[in-house]
Amino acid sequence: MEILIAILTVFTQPQLLILVGIGTFAGIYIGAIPGLSVTMAVSILISFTFSWEVLPAISLMVGIYMGGVYGGSRTAILLNIPGAPSAIATAMDGYPMAQKGEAGQAIGVTTVMSFFGGLIGILVLALAAPFVSEFALTFQPRDYMLLAVLGILLVGSLSTGSLVKGIFAGALGIAIGSVGRDPLTFTERFTFDFKLMEGGISFIAVMIGMFGVSEALQQLQNVNMKSVRQKIDRIVPSFGTIKKYLPLSLQTSSIGVIIGALPGTGGDIAALMAYDHAKRVTKNPKVPFGQGAMEGLVAPETANNAAVGGAFIPMMTLGIPGDAVTAIMIGALFIHGLNPGPMLMIDQPDMFWFIVGALLTANFFMLIFGLTGIKTFTKIVEMPRSIIIPLILLLSIVGAYAVNTSITDVYWMLGFGVFGYFMRHYGYPLGPVILGVILSRLLDDNWRRAIISEREDLGRFFEGIFTSPLSLVLFVSVILIFVSQTPIWTALKRRLFGGETL
Amino acid sequence: MDPEFRGDIDHHDGTSDALPGGYVEKRRPGELGFAIFLTLASLGLLYSAYGISGFEALSSPGSVPMATTTVMLISALVVAWRTAKLPKVAGETLSKDILPVMVIIFVGFLILFGVLLKPLGFLPTSALFLVAAIKLLSRKGWGYSLTIAFLSLFVIWLVFRIVFTVLLPAGIVPEAEFIQFFRNLLSGKG
Repeated sequence: MEILIAILTVFTQPQLLILVGIGTFAGIYIGAIPGLSVTMAVSILISFTFSWEVLPAISLMVGIYMGGVYGGSRTAILLNIPGAPSAIATAMDGYPMAQKGEAGQAIGVTTVMSFFGGLIGILVLALAAPFVSEFALTFQPRDYMLLAVLGILLVGSLSTGSLVKGIFAGALGIAIGSVGRDPLTFTERFTFDFKLMEGGISFIAVMIGMFGVSEALQQLQNVNMKSVRQKIDRIVPSFGTIKKYLPLSLQTSSIGVIIGALPGTGGDIAALMAYDHAKRVTKNPKVPFGQGAMEGLVAPETANNAAVGGAFIPMMTLGIPGDAVTAIMIGALFIHGLNPGPMLMIDQPDMFWFIVGALLTANFFMLIFGLTGIKTFTKIVEMPRSIIIPLILLLSIVGAYAVNTSITDVYWMLGFGVFGYFMRHYGYPLGPVILGVILSRLLDDNWRRAIISEREDLGRFFEGIFTSPLSLVLFVSVILIFVSQTPIWTALKRRLFGGETL
Repeated sequence: MDPEFRGDIDHHDGTSDALPGGYVEKRRPGELGFAIFLTLASLGLLYSAYGISGFEALSSPGSVPMATTTVMLISALVVAWRTAKLPKVAGETLSKDILPVMVIIFVGFLILFGVLLKPLGFLPTSALFLVAAIKLLSRKGWGYSLTIAFLSLFVIWLVFRIVFTVLLPAGIVPEAEFIQFFRNLLSGKG
């Protein structure tokens, strides 16, 4: 009963409900406008909402997150430009449909299926998270350390670029996160005797630089791209269509949740795997895959929205983000004094259930906004880049400044923006950097705790790893990633998931 | 799509296959230089990390920094080694594809923005930036640039000051007095 009340908190305060709605609405458009991304939006938004109360701020960000994951599919279908990494698979069949004049139908099905997938994801989150967090209480510091390493490695190896570049990016993130005075001994680290570095580098400055500025700078190279107009007519899909794809969507939703729940993997991989799954199980598609098959649209869209709920599981129960967006969400929770991890579920269960409620509400808003307002949508998406880019840059600067009202942060942001710009050009993934920055403290603390409890003895440390099944699984996974160099991902998935839920 | 291509999908724009995330089999202009820079930087950081507490103890404050910078150095070396062996991308130049004039101009704009933000205040600096940036990018008349710039600045200012209540440097514009004036006006009426 208490749980239900906590879930329904969103509805008891109209302000929160409106904020979730605005967030979802904005998220859909942000995800859909080429040149704007969810990571960018949430990282800039953190700096503006940090003076707010916790609940309104979370409502807004949850809305943006949910809407953004869905919104990315719009441009994937209409323009063949995935608005978010998780919509890459959507473009494969969505765009061919649009070319055949079936854009409205494609968007309609996408919306309903995203809603369906989102619902399943949230359901699993609500059911599994309490158990996972209870299980997480038995984790030793070394397990946390290994999980953090694993998460960073997975993001580096699976989502983007080459593995070595991913490892570099992750390590760089951890190093950035350790700048400043060490919280345990107060020793200076990487400060180079500069006074202004003693407080460390604001992770928000890093985020905004990497996801806001560097992306805007890159967009400068395609300022004059013309957008293509598409005809959109009937959008609400018939019940028959939905019923037909229900079995497939159930399967792909499960894929989405499982992959979303693994630390280090998010909606992008979930969508690609689901697409692959649909291709294998659909024996006789009406239209071949890649030429506008409905199945090729249903699978990734259910999966990436189901992955949202899934990704919140490790984020809320372990404090380990699944991808760049959840890393930023964790940053947002930190800013508001919440500490995601097993203790959150025990100390503030209401907060967890509130977030579940907000996600659920956002999912409904997504359905409503997705099926309406399609005319205004096409107009907004055509907004010229020559206006969008300066605005993003302006928002980035103001955002970086606003958190600590310090100009230093603005320069950090610019520095990381330019650095991130080069990283993008040369194929270094940015996600692991952010994950590294966020997890740096957790990794450092837990390593030191673990090794102190083993009396500084590496032998005993490894003995501890090999005698605990969980530590062993995590350790072997980390080693396997290093050794294999290629995603050995199906096997790993089973291992890991078994380790987490048993 | 090349199945081996796992370029940077953070760059979701997908507008050009040349732009995002480099190539698997080829080296872009400046890529080797960047890799060498990263290697040297990692070396410098490793030295700095060693300076934190040396090999004092496994739990010392410098242990994780040393481990991470070692990982950075090794991976940067591997990347540099691999990059050096790759053939160059045909038809790309540093000034055209990696660092076009526009990007350099905008970085300059941003630095200038940071310098002017405190003394001049948020509103004048942003107005200058927006007008210049939109004029430069859209290549349309002054009327267009000015209108769009001021309109969007007004909306942003409203959202920040009223909705998010973010404190921005006032500088030379008497912003607070301005808001107070309107507050008084509204409360006088209501």
